[in-house]
Amino acid sequence: MNPALTGVLADGGVTTGEAVTFWILAPIALAGAIGMVLLRNAVHSALSLVLTMLSLGVFYVLQAGPFIGMVQIIVYTGAIMMLFLFVIMLVGRNTRDSLIEVLRGQRVAAILLGIGFAMLLGTGLARGIGSIPAVGLAEANVNGNVEGIAKLLFTRYIFAFEVTSALLITAAVGAMILAHVEKKPGEKMDQKVLSRARFEKGNYPGPKAGPGVFATSDSVATPALLPDGTFTERSVSKVVPARELTIAEARPKAVNGSKEYGAIK
Amino acid sequence: MDGYLGSYATLGILLLVAGAFFAVAYTANRLLRTNAPSAAKSTTYECGLDPAGGDWAQAQIRYYVYAFLYALFAVESVFLFPWATVFDALGMITVAEMGVFVAVLALGLLYAWRKGVLSWTTA
Amino acid sequence: MNDIQLPPIDYAALLPMLIVFGLACVGILAEAFVPRKHRFAVQATLTLAALIAGLVTVIINRDLEVTTIGGAVTIDGAGLFLQGIILVLGIVAFGLIAERRLERGGAFVANAAHAADSDGDKKQLNEAGATEIFPLTLFAIAGMMLFCVSGDLLTMFVALEVFSLPLYLMCGLARRRRLLSQESALKYFLLGAFASAFFLYGVALIYGYAGSVQLVAIKQSVLDSDKSGVLLAAGLALLAIGLLFKAAAVPFHVWTPDVYQGAPTPITALMAACVKAAAFGGLLRVFNVAFETTSWDWRPVITAVAMATMIVGSILAVTQTDIKRLLAYSSIANAGYLLVGVVSLGGAVGSSMFYLVAYGFSVLAAFGMVTLVRDADGEATHLSRWAGLGKGSPLFSAMFTIIMLGFAGIPLTSGFSSKFALFSSAWDANQSALVIVGVLSSVVLAFPYLKVVVLLWLNPPGDETPTVSVPGYLTRAVVGVGVLATIVLGVAPSWLLDMVNSAGTFLAK
Repeated sequence: MNPALTGVLADGGVTTGEAVTFWILAPIALAGAIGMVLLRNAVHSALSLVLTMLSLGVFYVLQAGPFIGMVQIIVYTGAIMMLFLFVIMLVGRNTRDSLIEVLRGQRVAAILLGIGFAMLLGTGLARGIGSIPAVGLAEANVNGNVEGIAKLLFTRYIFAFEVTSALLITAAVGAMILAHVEKKPGEKMDQKVLSRARFEKGNYPGPKAGPGVFATSDSVATPALLPDGTFTERSVSKVVPARELTIAEARPKAVNGSKEYGAIK
Repeated sequence: MDGYLGSYATLGILLLVAGAFFAVAYTANRLLRTNAPSAAKSTTYECGLDPAGGDWAQAQIRYYVYAFLYALFAVESVFLFPWATVFDALGMITVAEMGVFVAVLALGLLYAWRKGVLSWTTA
Repeated sequence: MNDIQLPPIDYAALLPMLIVFGLACVGILAEAFVPRKHRFAVQATLTLAALIAGLVTVIINRDLEVTTIGGAVTIDGAGLFLQGIILVLGIVAFGLIAERRLERGGAFVANAAHAADSDGDKKQLNEAGATEIFPLTLFAIAGMMLFCVSGDLLTMFVALEVFSLPLYLMCGLARRRRLLSQESALKYFLLGAFASAFFLYGVALIYGYAGSVQLVAIKQSVLDSDKSGVLLAAGLALLAIGLLFKAAAVPFHVWTPDVYQGAPTPITALMAACVKAAAFGGLLRVFNVAFETTSWDWRPVITAVAMATMIVGSILAVTQTDIKRLLAYSSIANAGYLLVGVVSLGGAVGSSMFYLVAYGFSVLAAFGMVTLVRDADGEATHLSRWAGLGKGSPLFSAMFTIIMLGFAGIPLTSGFSSKFALFSSAWDANQSALVIVGVLSSVVLAFPYLKVVVLLWLNPPGDETPTVSVPGYLTRAVVGVGVLATIVLGVAPSWLLDMVNSAGTFLAK
């Protein structure tokens, strides 16, 4: 297929292009990884992880593994990171780590042990493979990288491949168990039931709040929520109640399902 | 510009050129326009009440299932690429192999459909 | 291009796994299409049928010795016996999972998506539990079966994930004390993902050393390779971390008490019996097939781990006040005893498998009886609540006493015969230090078990002593089988010992 693909690295050496790209991207990858740990905003954290993953994808391509490089970019930076961001949006962007350590000295111990482990593995690997030239790349990629992978995946590792589908379906079913409430046959509400419920006593029949708004109503009498969940009185107009509504109607409406004003802390 | 890395180098140079174009265009814009900031210009232009709180809204958990199904089928489609390259060499056997794999995953979609995950309005 | 050929696949050898995987998929299909009120019956029947059919095919295959799919799967005597153990213990654990008479709707939550203690959660308190639990159990068991017969580390990794993922999920599906259950699932998942990463890193390094991930090829390259041993040592260390995590060996045991306590008790039982068998099946295979010739390198480390596991497990078990945590620490200590079998290599494979059978039955019965001691809030697991149960429920207490004596290793119970078999084969393999530590730690470990026995019989019942529920027939069967096995394997263990010894060892070609 692509004879050039095999030639460059056949002797196991490192070409200038590879070295230059590595020294540009390696600091970026590291910065992304460090940023992911240190940044306080979870979204920024996730985005710096994307940076690391993209750099890793380029590294794979550099090392004559274009398929795994593309998979890294499509699946990890695409799909998996999207899941990450979804989770962050679910949990709350403003949710920060508490700085209280449950086990004393855990943080320091974790950092020290982590650095120690990295150094041990790094020096060990440098000693173990530093001088050994890469072999077998030319044979592995003889018909192109993708075909080389396909040849293994669909012959010798076919059982592992098929069993992966069991893994994926378990994950899918698990996600649905944890995130989806199944409606029972009788529970499905039709238009009539819904509109009845809407005009029932105690409900404010005005238009509902838009999606994503943290309130059950966008009536002007509904106070806005501050980020800590408390109401801001300033957001309720002082003029409306006196002119048009009875006192009961003018009471600030319940938010987020609670019946009583101010029930949310 | 030949060899394995050469073809990627072309891509890299294109990327650099694109970045440079972007930078030049915006810098030129910045240099050429007049710049007179004032406090009034940075307030929200909107009638009614001042916005309170942050701009962040919590997402519904059911969006997650869609995102997850997407990730699942992204993984599946990634396996289709190598499969396509050996498909003619091995013939019907790989069709069966891939068929089993896709069928098991389709089972997940079927499950999602029957559980009402895919229809939005039943909430 | 045309040199691609599918390696020969021996479908008969794979049949037990194919049946369980296939019927798990059918279970998902049933979940989607069977009407809600029939789902439980259909799923339970399907699961039991899959496990029994799997067991029957394993028995039919019993003399098979074959390496298939180009070495990805190795079916041999020991592998088949381990598959058989997993299936038998799985059938028994199924009894606990399917039990719905102790509590309305069973031990599992109806809709896990309702936040704990929310309005929706309060409404579903008496609803029937989620039936997805059955296909998930089947996937887990099929993964464990594959784990024990994997011929290469890649297949082993996929199998590890296949059996772990359903377990992570099921840990979070308890009907009662849901926050505790979800916390346990999260802990297990995070630490398990970490362990998997270690495993994978180890596989990569070993591939770098041996140029192959096949266990047999690794063994061969150890003999011929002139490469630096650093790669092999580092790879083996990381691989061992991944495996020892699943086996709950010290210092990779920290998840065990929390997960055992938080998970629904039937799932805890499944983990204690089947996952233990699978994890040690994998450990025994990896060390016996791939790394037997490098035993000088890893033996000191694993010996230290085994000693630490036995000592820490037994000492911490003494301080526990919750029966589920006590059993968790006892399972850690038992992992230590089983590691003695791993260190002793070839000669101890049979007695390790015997130990897995004996321990599996006893622990299933123990957790089965834990589900029976209930008050209004579900299971009463604090030990103080068990004081004086012997007065009101003598039969229950007698059975629990038998199990506890079995765990303590009193003669005429399976605990004694299995420990004796294991330690004597370790002694023959010149692991006398390990045997001494093992015997001493089992003396320490006898203390918490006997404490429970004393608590049951000699303490006066308090006002708060909960009742022992009249068990449904399923739990009754599980407890009966477990207690019976504890006695039979203690009084007449020779037939099973003959069986494990004639099952042979791992096929290394």
